[in-house]
Amino acid sequence: MFVYEKKLQYPVKIKNPNPRLAAIVITQYGGPDGELGASLRYLSQRYAMPFDELKGLLTDIGTEELGHLEMMGAIVHQLTRKLSDEQIREAGFAPYFVDHTTGVFPTAASGFPWSAASMAVKGDPITDLTEDLAAEQKARTTYDNILRLSDDPDVNDAIKFLREREIVHFQRFGEALQLLREKLDQKNVYYMNPAFDR
Amino acid sequence: MEERNMNRQHMRCTQAGEGQLPCCAPLANPYVPFQQTEPPRYEARRGLVRGTLFPGLELPFLGMVNEQELTDTPLHELQALGFAIQELALYLDTHRDDTEALELYRAYQDLYNRGRETYIKEYGPLNHMSEETSGQYRWLNQPWPWEFRENEG
Repeated sequence: MFVYEKKLQYPVKIKNPNPRLAAIVITQYGGPDGELGASLRYLSQRYAMPFDELKGLLTDIGTEELGHLEMMGAIVHQLTRKLSDEQIREAGFAPYFVDHTTGVFPTAASGFPWSAASMAVKGDPITDLTEDLAAEQKARTTYDNILRLSDDPDVNDAIKFLREREIVHFQRFGEALQLLREKLDQKNVYYMNPAFDR
Repeated sequence: MEERNMNRQHMRCTQAGEGQLPCCAPLANPYVPFQQTEPPRYEARRGLVRGTLFPGLELPFLGMVNEQELTDTPLHELQALGFAIQELALYLDTHRDDTEALELYRAYQDLYNRGRETYIKEYGPLNHMSEETSGQYRWLNQPWPWEFRENEG
C-alpha cells in the first residue's frame, strides 16, 4: 500500500509567481516524459519482473517518482499563486487558465492531456528496462530544456535536483538490465521471455 | 554471485565516474557500466542539494551545479537523511552484497528515525501512523508541503 508522507523529497520555495513559466514546467507533471507517466510506468511494469532486484528497484524508483510528481505540482502551484488579471492574460498562460484556472492538471505544455499512450508496459523485462533507460533520458532532456527556458533560480534549483535523479535512475536501470542478463541464457538472452516462459 | 563477478572485469577503475563493463558480452544488448562497490560519497545534506550521494554520477547540464547551503532546520535534516536512505536503497537494489553501503544505510536509518521523532513532536505528524500525543488532531495543521512559506525551511 502507499502512505502519504507530509513532506517534499526536496524543498520547493518559489518567491516569484510566473504563470508563463508554469505553463512550460507543467509538462513534467503531465507531459509525455513527465513524472506521472514515470511513476505509473515503473509501478505497472514491476508485476512482470521475474527477479527480486528488479521488483525492488521498480517499486523504489516508481515510488520516488510519485514524490517528484508532488514536487512538480508544488512548483506549478507556487508559480501561479496570487495572480493579477494582467498576469493571467500573459502570453502562454491564458489557454491553460481558461480550462483549469490555477488548478494543477496533468497535461503537456502543448495542452495535450496526460495519456497512458506516452508510456509502455510490454511484459518482457528486457524490453521494459530498455524503455526505462530511454524514459529517463527523455525526462533528462526535458529538464535540460526547462533549464534553457527558465531564468528563475528558485525553479531551477528544484529542476536541477530532478534532472540529476534521472541520471541516477538511468544508471540503476542499466545495472538492473545487466543483473537480469546474467540470469538468462548467455548464448542467447532473447531465447524466451523470462516473465512468461518458465 | 561468483558467476556474476566472472562476467565483469576484475580490474578496479580509478575514477569516481567510471564503472565496470563485462569483458566479453553478448551482442545486440545495451550496456551501462556497473557502479563499483564502495564508491565515493557526499554526506547527506550535500547529496540532497546535488541530487545524488555519488560524485561519480553527478553530471550537471551546462555546468549548472546546485551550490547553495540548506538552512539548518529539522525538516531539511529529515529531507537530507531521507534522501541518503533512498539513494542507498536504489544502490543496494543492484548491489545487495555491498556490506559497507548496507552499514551506512542502517546508520542513516538510525539518524532518520531519531530526527523523525523530534520533528513530529514539534511540528506534527508526517503520516497517519505518526503517534499523536498532543491531544489535538494536528494532521490538519499548516504547513502543507506544496504551499509557499516565506520563513520556513
